[in-house]
Amino acid sequence: MTLTPQRGTDAESASDAGTTGARDATDPAPGARSTRAKVGAQPWMMGLAVAIAIAGAALGLNGVLRGWAWYSPVLTVVFTVSLTIAGLRALRWRTVFVELGGLASFVLILTFTFFRPQSIIGFIPSGATLSQLGRYLRRASETVLAESSPVAPNAGIVLLICAVLGLLVILVDALAVPLSLPATSGIGILAILIVPAMVKPQSVGVLGFAGAAIGYLMILGCSHWFAPDPRTGADTARNPGQFKRAVVTGALALSVSMLLQLLIPGFDQGTFPQGSRLNPFGSATGLNPMISLGNSLRSPSGDGRITFATNAPTTPYLRSVTVDSFNGDTWAPDDREDTRRQGTGRIDSGLESAATELRVVTAINTGQFTSPYLPAPYAPEAVNGLAGRWSWDPATLSIKGVDTNSRNQQYLVLSVAPQLTPDLLAQSSAPVQGVPEQFIRPPDNVPEIVRKTADSVTAGSTSAYAKAMAIQRFLRSVTFSYSLQSPVQGGYDGNGLSVLADFLTQKSGYCIHFASAMAVMARLEGVPSRIAVGYAPGRPTGATVSIAGQGALPEFEVDARDAHAWPELYFQGVGWVPFEPTPSRGVVPSYATEGAAPSGASTNENNDGLIPSRAPNPTPLPGAAPLPLPGAAGQASPATQLLPVLYGTGAVLLLALLVASPQLARGRLRRRRLNSARASDGVPPALPAWAELRDLATDYGVAPHPSETPRHFSERLRASAALGGPDRLDGAGHGAVSALTRDFERRQYGRPDAGDGTEGAAGRPDGRTAAVRIAAVQASLRANARPFARVRATWLPPSVLSRWRLASLAPFRALSRRAQLTRRGVAGSWTRLRAGLRRVRRG
Amino acid sequence: MDYHRTSVDEVLPGSQGFQAASAAGGSPATRRLGPAPAAMDAEAFRDASERILTAINTVIDGKAGAAKLALTVLLAQGHLLLEDVPGVGKTLLAKTLARTIDCSVSRIQFTPDLLPSDVTGVSIYNQASRSFEFRPGAVFANIVIGDEINRASAKTQSALLECMEEHQVTVDGKSYKLDEPFMVVATQNPIEMEGTYPLPEAQRDRFMARISMGYPDKDSEMEMLETHQATSPLTRVTAVVTAGEVASMIATVQHVYVSQSIKEYTVSLGRATRESAMLRLGASPRSMLQLLRAAKATAALEGRDFVLPDDVVIVAESVLAHRIILDRKAASTGETPQSVIRAVLARIPVGTEAAGAVGGDRPARGKTAAGSAAQLPNHR
Repeated sequence: MTLTPQRGTDAESASDAGTTGARDATDPAPGARSTRAKVGAQPWMMGLAVAIAIAGAALGLNGVLRGWAWYSPVLTVVFTVSLTIAGLRALRWRTVFVELGGLASFVLILTFTFFRPQSIIGFIPSGATLSQLGRYLRRASETVLAESSPVAPNAGIVLLICAVLGLLVILVDALAVPLSLPATSGIGILAILIVPAMVKPQSVGVLGFAGAAIGYLMILGCSHWFAPDPRTGADTARNPGQFKRAVVTGALALSVSMLLQLLIPGFDQGTFPQGSRLNPFGSATGLNPMISLGNSLRSPSGDGRITFATNAPTTPYLRSVTVDSFNGDTWAPDDREDTRRQGTGRIDSGLESAATELRVVTAINTGQFTSPYLPAPYAPEAVNGLAGRWSWDPATLSIKGVDTNSRNQQYLVLSVAPQLTPDLLAQSSAPVQGVPEQFIRPPDNVPEIVRKTADSVTAGSTSAYAKAMAIQRFLRSVTFSYSLQSPVQGGYDGNGLSVLADFLTQKSGYCIHFASAMAVMARLEGVPSRIAVGYAPGRPTGATVSIAGQGALPEFEVDARDAHAWPELYFQGVGWVPFEPTPSRGVVPSYATEGAAPSGASTNENNDGLIPSRAPNPTPLPGAAPLPLPGAAGQASPATQLLPVLYGTGAVLLLALLVASPQLARGRLRRRRLNSARASDGVPPALPAWAELRDLATDYGVAPHPSETPRHFSERLRASAALGGPDRLDGAGHGAVSALTRDFERRQYGRPDAGDGTEGAAGRPDGRTAAVRIAAVQASLRANARPFARVRATWLPPSVLSRWRLASLAPFRALSRRAQLTRRGVAGSWTRLRAGLRRVRRG
Repeated sequence: MDYHRTSVDEVLPGSQGFQAASAAGGSPATRRLGPAPAAMDAEAFRDASERILTAINTVIDGKAGAAKLALTVLLAQGHLLLEDVPGVGKTLLAKTLARTIDCSVSRIQFTPDLLPSDVTGVSIYNQASRSFEFRPGAVFANIVIGDEINRASAKTQSALLECMEEHQVTVDGKSYKLDEPFMVVATQNPIEMEGTYPLPEAQRDRFMARISMGYPDKDSEMEMLETHQATSPLTRVTAVVTAGEVASMIATVQHVYVSQSIKEYTVSLGRATRESAMLRLGASPRSMLQLLRAAKATAALEGRDFVLPDDVVIVAESVLAHRIILDRKAASTGETPQSVIRAVLARIPVGTEAAGAVGGDRPARGKTAAGSAAQLPNHR
């Protein structure tokens, strides 16, 4: 036991403080001194760890972006920012300035890398930088919207990625070091990994995962190694058993996560987005329109509006792409990059139909619709007026951009439509020849129900046409219903063979399900098939478009809600023939209609109420004058005009209420307290008055500490600048605070029988005095507060906000407490089990 | 009861002592002063305490805090341990406190060869009366100053144990009551450890508070050099209160009210020290009792008849620091018992709103106050 004189003095002065109960509630944590004293290698190691984590996770973006050229600016930005932060921390700058310095270095390095010509002396941003930034960001947003992965690393998208990664460096560093939440900093790294997980079919990939994991472990290790637990001392960080424990825990966690996805049913089925699967060795690439089709249909607003004018007698389907391989978990279009042909001036449609052909001219304006694939009526022979380079696939006639996309394209498609008749199709009975194997081969592992259904449906049909009609009839029968929601609820949204099995069981789904059911069943029955993805015939806008040599043609429009998929079956000697198995969507072609089924006129009528049925008549209005705003046209009734006003007013009121709600809550609480103080209905006025005083002080920045005694708090409040400080003894406010304190102490700690406790002004123990005192304190606080503090205390009172925060976090706290208890319980039983095993082994 | 004079090595004049109850048994609270002396009114109490403190402060310069704490311990019926380097006035404080009160005082200089019987007393065979006669030891006084208590052997130290806790001496199977008020003021020297027997934990726990005097500040030291050159300052001190007055003051302290929330605060304080990872041994339940008694005395000295959390906070460090034992790791990182107590105080929420109305005789609390209790974060 060593007692130094110095300590004696400490104790002395503490007891000297006597009645004031002086005690430094904000005494720094005991360990803080020692960690501050030595800086050492910690900032550098931590900076390196953060940089490795971010740069490593960014490796996963390869495949989202093409090639590796984008990686060097990323490395520059990430390492510059993290090392700047490390350097400033090594210089022992204050935390705020360290983060601000990191931010400054982030801006400078971005300017230096991307805006050198538009900046002052190469790295200081100027006005020109901002306008260039705007251009880059527009470019980036177009890239994100339009292109399919991997996208070409243009300056816009690389700038965006560098900026996000640089900010993440600052965020991760701030979480790991000043906020001491190294484990939580993984959120920032996870944010990077989500991008490849969602975009790339092969998910994050080994490289990105390993890089991120190494960096994250380094962050955890650094924070543990350099910041030992202040309670237990320095040597815990170098506990020898720790590494072993960490390895065992990590291995256990990894194997559990690997096993879990095998055990949980449906995890590798269509319910989950494809990127969520752990598939580090996948090989497929390319954007999959089939994945997004369901979402497009469900989107409440029809964006991606395409307008087109055509001279075809019936409104054509617009086809983007086909899907022909029905293997694997997810069906995706096969781009066949090696057999694609460049240029769309002349497309060999390959039709050898015996039928008469109808030449159709279609002028299409894609507007904001962005996709790598070009929508066009089948079968295109030439596409003119396109911007950028395009290629087409001889096998499927899908047109795809080489370095561009469909956004803002206006082009003219010349297509041929064979005039097919049932007779013609029925005659096609020759064995299929000259069709690539991939359209014929039935998928592997077809679920039993699909095969059975196909066989039972087509029993008795001999020709290919009869089989096709039987399948279409089956799918269009009343037992099947069109629904966008039931696949989601039933967990079979998406595509794939397992989804198909579910669909045939539930008998409810949307176009993807119907189309793929027909395509797969046709193949099983020996009819080559593929699924076309595009747009169902749209609605006439009422306008006309003049095309040279064709005159004024009626204009139609389609948008995301018209997105559609339909099967195309191959008939020898006829070619690819589209069918329409989806009930209540699209138009059943004349050659595929049943004798008496008058379903030809139905277009998209039943869409689960998502699309209001308007203009059911697809025939264009002859001679209609072009309207200036085709989309906005319509005779709106006064009621519908009033509706937005009502909604707007409601929204404004709601917003106002939201903004004012903390203030309202605060005011209500105050009134209740003071009223109860005044009413003296059993509640001693001192208690609510004291609670009100605490909240008032909190609102003006002098929050009571939970471990602070009332007297200490009261003295601190009176000494603080909030009440004008100790020298500007503001009579009313200071007096009121000490009187309230005195009352509260007497009430809370004094003898219960000592009377009410409120020393009223005229000796009356009523609550009015308390209210008067509170008002005095409030006036004094308001008078001394700065304008900002005054506004905050009125509109966003911290006392209310902190209470709300606590209330909202309560479930989490309860949960974590429960988790802690469980953990302890498990640890305890594990220890007991191990001890028992040991005893058994010993004998 | 005049035997105690014979064996004390220093007895102050006029230290007759007041009538002590010799009735055995009873609970510690009632046992103290048989027919309980009447409690003083606030005015008289303040007056008496002012007199004592002024008298002490004229002797010891710049140590008002230590003086007040010593008086607090006296009024709370505890024992005081003064621990500091030599020459800062430990013994002087003890003697001054004893001298300001008109009561019997004895001083024991503890040495390794001091025997238990020197402290407690011994039975001697009287040839004339042909019977054993009890010769009381030095402990038979109102205030016992044990100088350098850690120099005595463990046997002698433990002889003090019974006296301090039970306020009685047992020799040859016979128990003798000690006078009330009874207070042991022990001093010990922390740096000269050779040839000492550090007080065992059990004995440390029996002292209500430990005070470190600390060096005086510059002005006080200058003043001391000027005024205390020629004569011992102790000679100027005369008794300013009688033992009866002290007994009344003690009774007053006993009447100080402790609310439910204060009790809860004290208990949570004690529990926190026991659960603290930095401590090998936390505060005992006995120390909680003594903490509360010291807080009551502090409240009374402040002129209040009820205890505030501030009173607990003020005495907590002195009352608890010498009873707790640091964990070896915490000790190696430079923690002291004092700093641990401070850390615990900074963590435990004061029951300003959550508790307090449990007593039953208090009116039920309204929704308002209960609602605001939600903002107190739940510690642990």
